[in-house]
Amino acid sequence: MNRLQPGRSLAGFFLLFTLLVAAGCDTNEQKKGGLDESSSAPAFLQIGEFAINRISPERAEVRDGAGRTLILIPREAPMPKDVPPSQVVRVPVQRVVAYGYFDVAVLRALGVLEQTLVGVTAPAKRWYIPEIKRGMDAGRIAFIGDAASVDYERLKQSEPELVLTWDPSVIPMLDNLQIPAVVTTTSKAMCLNTRMRFVQFLAPFFQKEREADAFFARIDAALQDIRARTAGLAHQPKVMWGDIYEKRVMVEPGNAWVGELVGLAQSDYQFKDVFGTSCIEITVERFLYSGQDADIFFTYRTGEMGATSKEALAKLNPLIKDIAPLKRGRVYAPLPHYIQSADRLDEILTEISAILHPEVYRDYHLQYFTELPECEPVKEKP
Amino acid sequence: MQHIVSRIWHALGSINLTVGLCLLLTADLVWGYFCLERHTPLFTPLNDMGLIPWMQTYGSHNLPWTVWFFLLLALLALLAVNTFACTTNRVVHLLAAKSMVSKRRLALKLAPHIMHYGLIVILAGYLASYLCTQVLTGRTLVPGAYLSLPGTGGQVRMVAFEPDYYRGTRLGFWKDEVITARARLLLDDGTTQREAMLTCTHPVRFLGYSLHMHDFAPKSQGGMKMKTRIDLHVRKDPGVALYLAGIVLFTVGLALYLYEWIIDRETTTL
Repeated sequence: MNRLQPGRSLAGFFLLFTLLVAAGCDTNEQKKGGLDESSSAPAFLQIGEFAINRISPERAEVRDGAGRTLILIPREAPMPKDVPPSQVVRVPVQRVVAYGYFDVAVLRALGVLEQTLVGVTAPAKRWYIPEIKRGMDAGRIAFIGDAASVDYERLKQSEPELVLTWDPSVIPMLDNLQIPAVVTTTSKAMCLNTRMRFVQFLAPFFQKEREADAFFARIDAALQDIRARTAGLAHQPKVMWGDIYEKRVMVEPGNAWVGELVGLAQSDYQFKDVFGTSCIEITVERFLYSGQDADIFFTYRTGEMGATSKEALAKLNPLIKDIAPLKRGRVYAPLPHYIQSADRLDEILTEISAILHPEVYRDYHLQYFTELPECEPVKEKP
Repeated sequence: MQHIVSRIWHALGSINLTVGLCLLLTADLVWGYFCLERHTPLFTPLNDMGLIPWMQTYGSHNLPWTVWFFLLLALLALLAVNTFACTTNRVVHLLAAKSMVSKRRLALKLAPHIMHYGLIVILAGYLASYLCTQVLTGRTLVPGAYLSLPGTGGQVRMVAFEPDYYRGTRLGFWKDEVITARARLLLDDGTTQREAMLTCTHPVRFLGYSLHMHDFAPKSQGGMKMKTRIDLHVRKDPGVALYLAGIVLFTVGLALYLYEWIIDRETTTL
């Protein structure tokens, strides 16, 4: 009889399982420090789709937003022969070109902006960060052309050791120039945790792990405060974040950090069922349906882009004139410097929470958003 | 000693073990569904970095969400052993009695066992894929740019991006969106050149590598102007041959089984 012996079979099964887990378990838990100045850096750190794997004191592998692997080695170390030079980054990096405002803000959060940034893709007049304005005036930071038409000659002259970009289409050209590049965006929107921890991903490039940990602790404290203040609030405002443009409707999906924050701050995000990339396109019907009973609307448009009043927004796009926030709710537009202020994420999170629940943030003064009036203020005649 | 080995062998081939394993696999996969859905980024790298490096990094550092996968491997390994032992027992019995039946009858009797062996080969193929595949991730091509395939001297150049756009009227929001992203590639092995069309559902094979389109831009004709690019995963997967062989074996077994079930049984009934 082939009767199963439960005890023996289970013992065999658990032995096999233990062996498999043991094979998979990392044996380098003690491998700490190395490339970074902080001895407490973990051997492996995963932040959303980004990851850092410290293989040895002289070598770390990082996985960027496009799934590419780059190798970090100390500045004085010999060039490894098993990877192309364009995938090797010598740390601490001393010269960086950054495409996005977010990347620049992260450099600022790490305290390396003035020392390392040598090139940007926005002209001086579009910057609100004083260090960049000063750097561009002094000629230390170059405008290398708009992101859609980068001047590679100018880029090469800046002699960057690293390019931070959201645009993977520049990688072949940068590979030819043997300049390592990190793609800092992903095909899915950054969740709140990734947004808060992204600074820890870039920290090893500059050996600023302690600064990154301090930054994260600050944001985490702000989040704890938001949780504490908003816990148990009875009123949960319905929030939408996006806008309708000429032919397209773009919103922040539910998996984006703003969607998660709204939920965390005892509010109801109208697009929480939408999943995908940041600034994702949805149908007009879906947008208008969500707008029927929303209380608060965050538009992408700044005042410069026409978001000066509810009336102005409705004129810009008559389709949205009947959504509830424009008729009886509240509408907020970002101030121009908001997009460059990711290093003040704690303040931004708090401000969004204050907008959602003004009842627990008495006398709060907005710094990053502005509430749109019903109609254009009447200009006084001189 | 021989007695112990025999008892272990029979325990491993037990149908009770099969039923238990199937129930455990079902429960584990339900658990895995929720872990995968909530922590997708943990499992995405498994597609390109290989099983062992994944186990040493993502897997072992996130055990609350990955332990179901380790359990799945253990259960599948046990299922493969169970299937092999059970099937081999039956095959040995059939072969021992081969003189009592015709060759045709014997072949038909072996049909389910051929399918079982096919399943084991398929599982082995997937294991080989996860253990041995060489993947070049995040390779981006723009028109005119080329990609060198390591160890071959071969080059892949992107000639043009020739997408199909939605021109219908029924789905208004799809208007001018790319519905088939097609990239024309020039494959150069150092001596000859040929063109190939790559799409998201049609990888291109060249010099032992397979090129898969992972992403592309622009995704529509209007809207934000994105620069033309395709993102590739380039794979050298020794497991493909093995699981294709497994599928062939399974298909042969299935064909024999269906033949017996439909034609042979019909003849017997008549």
